Amino acid sequence: MTTTIELEVKGLNFYYSGKTQALKNINLPIYSRQVTALIGPSGCGKTTLLRCFNRMHDLYPGNMYEGEILHEGRNILSNENDLIRLRSRIGMVFQKPTPFPMTIFDNIAYGLKLKGIKKRAELAERVEKALKHAALWNEAKDKLNASAYDLSGGQQQRLVIARALAVEPDVLLFDEPTSALDPISTGKIEELIMHLKNEVTIIIVTHNMQQAARISDMTGFMMLGDLVEFDHTQKIFTAPSEKLTEDYITGRFG
Amino acid sequence: MNIQKRRKIESFLALSFSTAAALFGLFWLIFILSDVVIHGAAALNLDLFTKDPVPPGAEGGGLRNAFVGQLLITFFATLIGVPVGVLGGTFIAEYARGTKFARIISILSDIMVSVPSIVIGTFIYAVLVKPTGQFSGWAGAIALAVIMIPVVLRTTEDMLSLVPWTLREAAFALGAPYYKVIVQVVYRGAATGILTGILLSMARVAGETAPLLFTSFNNAFFSTNMNQPVASLTVTIFNYAMGPYETWHQQAWAASFVITIFILIITILGRLLIKWRYKK
Repeated sequence: MTTTIELEVKGLNFYYSGKTQALKNINLPIYSRQVTALIGPSGCGKTTLLRCFNRMHDLYPGNMYEGEILHEGRNILSNENDLIRLRSRIGMVFQKPTPFPMTIFDNIAYGLKLKGIKKRAELAERVEKALKHAALWNEAKDKLNASAYDLSGGQQQRLVIARALAVEPDVLLFDEPTSALDPISTGKIEELIMHLKNEVTIIIVTHNMQQAARISDMTGFMMLGDLVEFDHTQKIFTAPSEKLTEDYITGRFG
Repeated sequence: MNIQKRRKIESFLALSFSTAAALFGLFWLIFILSDVVIHGAAALNLDLFTKDPVPPGAEGGGLRNAFVGQLLITFFATLIGVPVGVLGGTFIAEYARGTKFARIISILSDIMVSVPSIVIGTFIYAVLVKPTGQFSGWAGAIALAVIMIPVVLRTTEDMLSLVPWTLREAAFALGAPYYKVIVQVVYRGAATGILTGILLSMARVAGETAPLLFTSFNNAFFSTNMNQPVASLTVTIFNYAMGPYETWHQQAWAASFVITIFILIITILGRLLIKWRYKK
């Protein structure tokens, strides 16, 4: 398998306003078209790290980054970086489904319209493509003009994934995407993620270690703001190098 | 045993007092409403809406001038008050969220909501009517707008705050700039709530008399010139009810009836919107 690096985190420190350091000198490569899972106990900084990749922290005043995250040779943490462009390249799916209060069609078309696509035919084509990608087309094709809230929780989450996919991002960030879903919906999302990695690079934060083991290629174990270990998922779950990692995955704490 | 008996008595007393208080309030409400309906409906006729007042004491005539004036003043008050209120509420709930400045405006608005409307009337008199030496429809509309603004502002703020933050984050994550997030996503989520607030604030100002007494004054003739005194239903009711003529009293009753129904309809519309919103 040829592996190119999509994103490279170098010496990343992150401070929430009020000077609490949430990430300590993180170094890790995110390989292109692979699934990278971030695991660790609550408060370890995995979601904080995830939200650095699309600069979500910039929405709240006082947060501070140090270090670099390189994407296509550019540091996305630099102040000159265009956040609007960045966020259309690096999409995000949240813990709870976040459909917008509009129709299913308009939800998917939202990101496309932001990109300046206005032609009805092109929108329709790309909405269909995105819904098919997210394995929602069969369930949604007859009610594209219905409110997105008419969908079930699991369908809403796939809708949100379709919305993120529609703008054809390089990377998709998943923040515990199945923690609010039932097992069947969870299974569908996991299947979808494994399928999607053929086209996009995926980083997923999960509380569920079995999930990380099932769907990811690389796994990073974090604790108290440190990246304790980063390796192939198989290695992390069978022969971790660090004692802390072993203790965590065998359920000794966390 | 003793304790239980005492509790029963206490419970009975509490129930009796609160029921009596509710009945007392309800009695007056129904008394007033039925009085307005009985007298008002009896005095209602088509002339009321199509004809202007005749000289004092003469029979016939209507209040077309006051109906049109009332609608004009309310319309322009809404036109001024709603954008200021909605944008102000947006500023507090979004751009200045969590700042001291936002909290101060929020608290001041709460105070403004409970300022007696006659104070607003005299204020507009002092800043607009006195310097120009002219009562005008604009002054009336602005006085009502000033009453509307804090109501609309606070409702907007509350409704925007109810929209979950994750929804905004989701829009940001797609690369939307903040103003598009607000206009295209947050406003949609809060639309019915904000609309309800606007309707209820309209209902509130439509029944105001005091702020109009000093501003739009009154006009016995039909006029749509907002630079001149403009007739309003509420001030007309006030004048006619105090007047010596029986026809005036009849028309005041009819006008009271119409304005009550008007406010009732707006209020019911607002309530229906709330219901519809939560059913969804």
